[in-house]
Amino acid sequence: MSKGNHRDMWVFCEQNRGEFVPVTLEMLGEARRLMDKYNADYKESEKVVAVVMGHHIDALAQSAIEHGADVVYTCDHAELEHFRLEPYTKLLAKAATGKDAYKTYDKPHYFLFPATNNGRDLSATAMAALESGLASDCNLLYIQDIPIKHPVKTRRGEAIEEIVYPRILHMKRPDFSGFEWSTILCIDDPDKDFHPQACSVIPGSFKPLQRTAGRKGQRINVTMDLPPQAMRVKTLKRERLPIEVDLARPEVVVAVGRGIQKNPTLGVKLGLELAQALGGDLGISRGVVTSKYPVDASLTQFTKEARQIGETGQMVKPRLYIALGISGAIQHKKGMDKSRVIVAINPDETAPIKEFSDVFIKGDLFDVVPKIKDQLAPVVKGNGGLPSTRKGGK
Amino acid sequence: MDCIVLVKGVPDFREGKVSFKEDNTLNRGATPTVLNPNDQHALRAALSVKVKHGGNVALMSMGPPNYKSILREAMEIYGDRAVLLSDRMMGGADTLATAQTLAAGIRKVGVPDLIIAGFKSADGETGQTGPQTAWVLDMPVITHVIEFDVDEKRRTVTAQRLDGQEVETVEAPLPAFLVTDPGFMAHYRMARHRLKLQQLSEETRKRAERIDAVYAQWSLADLPVDPKLVGLKGSPTIVAKVEPIPVAPKERTARIFRGDNAAELTQAVKTIAELVAR
Repeated sequence: MSKGNHRDMWVFCEQNRGEFVPVTLEMLGEARRLMDKYNADYKESEKVVAVVMGHHIDALAQSAIEHGADVVYTCDHAELEHFRLEPYTKLLAKAATGKDAYKTYDKPHYFLFPATNNGRDLSATAMAALESGLASDCNLLYIQDIPIKHPVKTRRGEAIEEIVYPRILHMKRPDFSGFEWSTILCIDDPDKDFHPQACSVIPGSFKPLQRTAGRKGQRINVTMDLPPQAMRVKTLKRERLPIEVDLARPEVVVAVGRGIQKNPTLGVKLGLELAQALGGDLGISRGVVTSKYPVDASLTQFTKEARQIGETGQMVKPRLYIALGISGAIQHKKGMDKSRVIVAINPDETAPIKEFSDVFIKGDLFDVVPKIKDQLAPVVKGNGGLPSTRKGGK
Repeated sequence: MDCIVLVKGVPDFREGKVSFKEDNTLNRGATPTVLNPNDQHALRAALSVKVKHGGNVALMSMGPPNYKSILREAMEIYGDRAVLLSDRMMGGADTLATAQTLAAGIRKVGVPDLIIAGFKSADGETGQTGPQTAWVLDMPVITHVIEFDVDEKRRTVTAQRLDGQEVETVEAPLPAFLVTDPGFMAHYRMARHRLKLQQLSEETRKRAERIDAVYAQWSLADLPVDPKLVGLKGSPTIVAKVEPIPVAPKERTARIFRGDNAAELTQAVKTIAELVAR
């Protein structure tokens, strides 16, 4: 059904100040695994193609190859040193649609982007430019044939047929606070090809490959030849922000979840007091972010997304993690299950969090926390995390 | 200085409102629809433009006819008029088809000085529709905006945007497309602006009560767009399956203590202390 000629899995390699962001290497590793299996399954020899943009990026291009890429497209220019949406999109689209010393096909078969702020933006505009579809924030990928019946995609005249689409990238993403898992497919229409099949990838979902020093690959240079019109959003200044909330640092993290709903202000306050007593810091679950519980104005800083722990928030592995009223959706689990000791306080003994806790206290956080706070404090002391405990300069 | 704000209706995820089915997937039928929380920032951004520079703010959404209530909710923050793009043929759209539809609606209103959208919806959470709409309209786009100023004489917008742990200050010519970050804040440094803000806020709440006078619903036939680009037909992607996320296999064996029993709680504390010390 596909009329165009599409090959390879492309990966946009995001870098910041001369270093790949970690998800870049994770994507390259996953692309390598996917294409090795694809080539074996379909007796093909399609490649992993990296796209690296920036300034002075020779070392990065080589690193992409040593982490799994066969071919690297580079665009090296002072104007591209920092991420810029419009020129990056146009240059990427130029490489993906053009023909060159390596590329003889029409468009990439598949395309992976990082689900970072910049990566998501680029995935959106690049796929608008390439007129194809993408799934955002995926954490599981595989390629296989699939039979489909769809009112538009498989309509032939009046009839809706079942058609087997070959070599479809299955893109799975957690939705709705981590309870639902949707499988998104990018499927050709009877009269229109949609390629590449693209997605953005949640950081931490995949493992990078061990670096193979000296691995050889082909490098293709993309000329930066954009008209001034493409550079119309100008960067005037860049400043580094102090890290607002770094939950990876403290040795004790107390997190509150939907269990605070009957009195959100008190729930947050209890979590905060326990964290302070233990010399730790406070995190929240995705549920608290999406539920937008009304809390006292003095506490709103503690219910912001910056404190969210989970797959789409901060990843923590403290010495002690205490989950108050958190059910333990997979979304949350991914952000904390490497903690040394996990304690859950929850009235529901069937909550999934019990399956990855060391200690489970069956009870309501509003009853239990005041009772154990003072007992726990002398036996468990963290390294400080909250601003008020940070003054000691540890 | 005219603005269009793009808004969306999403399931109300607040506790007591949201309803899940037994398998933990969202029960859409039983969950009310509300204004996407992130869109409030976009509305406040447009209001700040109105306060400081005048002009008109049009609100636009795409969805079923009952999305009128979403536009009314949005207008309570600010809007001079509201347009709903609604047609069965627009249904089932993915982000690209939605972007094509919104771009057509914007062209019909007339491309304003600023188009403002919120960062990702609470339901789809893709964050794609804003940048894709800007791309279809070939407008300069600034995402993750936390603060901005418009220079009427030079016809530019200067914005501060979040880029990871850095703040970038950028400038773009008007007309431009802004996507607000959840950290967006409108600043009113002058007393006369604060007075104007109060006056406009009162006016818009009254206007929202009688939204019909400033409300339009447009169907596909009203829009300058190739019907092949919208709805299911214009969507490259499909949702093949929605399933509950599987429960993770047991990884640790929890020792269980009863929270309503003082002796057990003391034992729990002792156990925690031992595990942490190990």
